[in-house]
Amino acid sequence: MSGNKGITKALINSSIMVTIIVIIAELIGTRRFSVGIGTITLLPMLYAVVMGMLIVPDLLGRVIPLLKKVIGDDEIEFAGTAVMIALLPLGVKYGNLVGPNVVEIVRAGPAFLLQEFGNVATIFVALPVALLLGLKREAVGASVSICREPTLGIMGEKYGLDSPEGTGTLGTYLMGTVFGTIFYGILGSLSLSTGLHPLALAMAGGMGSGSMMTAASSSLAAAVDPALSDTVLAYAATSNMLTGVTGLYMVIFVSLPLVNKLYDILEPKIGKKGGEKDE
Amino acid sequence: MSNVKMSKILEQLKILIIVGIMILIGQRIGYGIGIIKAIPGIILVIIVAQISLIIKAAFPNIKFPAFAWATMISFILSMPFMPTAEWYLGITNNVNFLGTTTPILAFAGISVGNKLQILKKLSWKIVIVSIFVFLGTFFGSAVIAQIVLKIQGLI
Repeated sequence: MSGNKGITKALINSSIMVTIIVIIAELIGTRRFSVGIGTITLLPMLYAVVMGMLIVPDLLGRVIPLLKKVIGDDEIEFAGTAVMIALLPLGVKYGNLVGPNVVEIVRAGPAFLLQEFGNVATIFVALPVALLLGLKREAVGASVSICREPTLGIMGEKYGLDSPEGTGTLGTYLMGTVFGTIFYGILGSLSLSTGLHPLALAMAGGMGSGSMMTAASSSLAAAVDPALSDTVLAYAATSNMLTGVTGLYMVIFVSLPLVNKLYDILEPKIGKKGGEKDE
Repeated sequence: MSNVKMSKILEQLKILIIVGIMILIGQRIGYGIGIIKAIPGIILVIIVAQISLIIKAAFPNIKFPAFAWATMISFILSMPFMPTAEWYLGITNNVNFLGTTTPILAFAGISVGNKLQILKKLSWKIVIVSIFVFLGTFFGSAVIAQIVLKIQGLI
């Protein structure tokens, strides 16, 4: 790969664009908006992801031909590699937050372990919705979990990604990849208005995706009492690490059997008749 | 260790350094942290990040992402009873947490650029279901955590 001219051009182009985005995002800075049900905290990272999405060939690149030359397919591919590496300094910073709080976190151990089962709740919430909408086996794939890479692997192996189950999983995966950070970046601060404790919400933010957890926990941390901010981030990072370890097994041994069982019970009752395929 | 290739390390290091520069610029603007003052911190962060990439490449059978290795190494170095804690935290504290997030998300935004067309083909039903998945997994965990923390008397 190294020495390849295409790669170098992609590296330079996307690095310049990202630097410009970072500068604009940081200049706008953190903003808070009061909405009916609570306060939304918007962080620079949120403007950054939106700006990044806007400058691709399928969006602004269509309108501005010059932009298409700067950000094309090579740059998009390079950005995919760069994300994984750019995440690492953040990973280091999370370690900084967890280390000093280690005693407190060990004390909250039972809560950390048990809340992992909360991920299963998605089945009870999303599967009925999917069935009411008339989805069949896609419903199983879409609602089995938040569908990050480990789930994609399991579902691909068990059903094949071109099966109805696989289509459902890919759908949720894709939605999460594109809109997950924006969704959780807004939900993070807004969720405080439910009255749940910030530390419980922090644990909930660790769902096995570094960027979603960061979006949820940072916006939560920016919205709580500053004295609690670091603990919120530390809890979220710990929970995310734990999901990284348990997530795969949770899907294999708990979520997947459960979603199939529930499908068999609910489908005859609330599934739409005719068994039509989703369009 | 045959999976650890020098050319790959240099390629990764190049990206890490670029990202490091972005962080320095971003946190100067956003959080007023002087660039010179933060250079030792960012170098240390880059070293830990690079080590985590090397560990991941060296042990491909352990399915643990480099991100988690980075957190783990940094976590160990900064635990209160570790002799390294004060030194390590002192230096890396000049790298702002939120400052590290902005470049990631900018790259992430660009990287999904080729998925927008596929997304258009996605059924609107799956779009709705996925929103309930996001809400379900988040609040499911939050409610359980709330109950257990309350029982333990921690909140």
